[in-house]
Amino acid sequence: MGTAARWVLVLAGLAILAAGAYVSFAQAGSGAQPWDPELSDNFVFMRVLPFVVGLGVVVGLFRAGSRTAAMRRGDQVRRFSTGTILGHWIVTVGFLLALPTGLWQYLGGILSQDVPAPGGQALLDLFQAVPLYWFYRLHYIGAALILFSVATFAAYWWANGDRSLWPPRGEWRRHLAGFAQELPPSLGARLAAWLRLDLDQRPQARRFTFYETAFSFPTWTFALVLITITGLVKAMRYIYPVPGPVLYWASTLHVAAMVLLTLKVLDHLRYTLARWPFMVAMTRGWVSESALRRVLDTTSRPGPRQAEPTLPAGAPAGVAGGSER
Amino acid sequence: MKRLVAILELLWAAVNVVIAYLFITNAFVAKTAIKEGLPAQAALLLGGTLIGIFAVMLAWQSLQILRAPGATEGSR
Repeated sequence: MGTAARWVLVLAGLAILAAGAYVSFAQAGSGAQPWDPELSDNFVFMRVLPFVVGLGVVVGLFRAGSRTAAMRRGDQVRRFSTGTILGHWIVTVGFLLALPTGLWQYLGGILSQDVPAPGGQALLDLFQAVPLYWFYRLHYIGAALILFSVATFAAYWWANGDRSLWPPRGEWRRHLAGFAQELPPSLGARLAAWLRLDLDQRPQARRFTFYETAFSFPTWTFALVLITITGLVKAMRYIYPVPGPVLYWASTLHVAAMVLLTLKVLDHLRYTLARWPFMVAMTRGWVSESALRRVLDTTSRPGPRQAEPTLPAGAPAGVAGGSER
Repeated sequence: MKRLVAILELLWAAVNVVIAYLFITNAFVAKTAIKEGLPAQAALLLGGTLIGIFAVMLAWQSLQILRAPGATEGSR
């Protein structure tokens, strides 16, 4: 698809989102509806959401069409494209908005009991001045940002065929074995025994560590899918009659997914902080290949070091560290 | 920059320790047991414990960076 056609697609997506948002906000703000702010926000969110996801898809398709070859400048390789970096930071802002407000909605329910846990009442008093609908409003904005970014990445990866964050078909055991070797030895040995993995083979990580491909990305995917489906069921209950048991399980699993995502964020921050070149790559896009190679090697091969494959200076970036995702 | 990120992540870990504390303490509140039952109490206890463990691990990592910024993998 040509550049002009892709731009037309994105502009059409933006125009449709703007029109959909205008109609939703105009109806909510007309004064003709009997809704309170909380319910009004819920309706606006549910009505705007299809347009947000649609825009995410066209942006993802746009990006897939403009994908450029991997690049190298001396020791620096381009690991992430500008679109990937922006998408990552949009989803980060989404989490910063949606997770604390979601936790507050849940904690508010369990804190406001007759006899709150010690410290609970102090926390309730601290946020008493903030109307509850503001927590929901920020939660919806955060959720919309996350869904936009997830739709963008899903469309982008679907269109360009990039599966580098996912173990290829038939290679799950190799990736799991590599993951077991990246864990602390006692934990890795238990996992290997449980899954009957062969730890004698010492696979070498390519673009991503085995921790990322065999564990981190699959669990991100699972948690995001779970929180999206359950969140949509919860949010649509005022515009569509959702059966009681379905709503109960959606609410329960939404909280479970929230806890899982809270753990994922903590784990992701710990993992990347300890591997600084990963942080640099997700900020600048470019990263020193030697630093990146060192991280991948020390992470994937914590035991006695083996001879490292040397790359000729002209080798295409992406083999060792660059991925241009 | 690395120190600034470590400080921010330390703050994030501290907030999560508070959340873990609230989860765990509320697992033992009588109203939770009466209203929600044992599964909800167990879920609060498990969720709070896991959040606490992961938050302490992040805090530990952040403190290591603050003590020795060059100690991370690939930073040499």
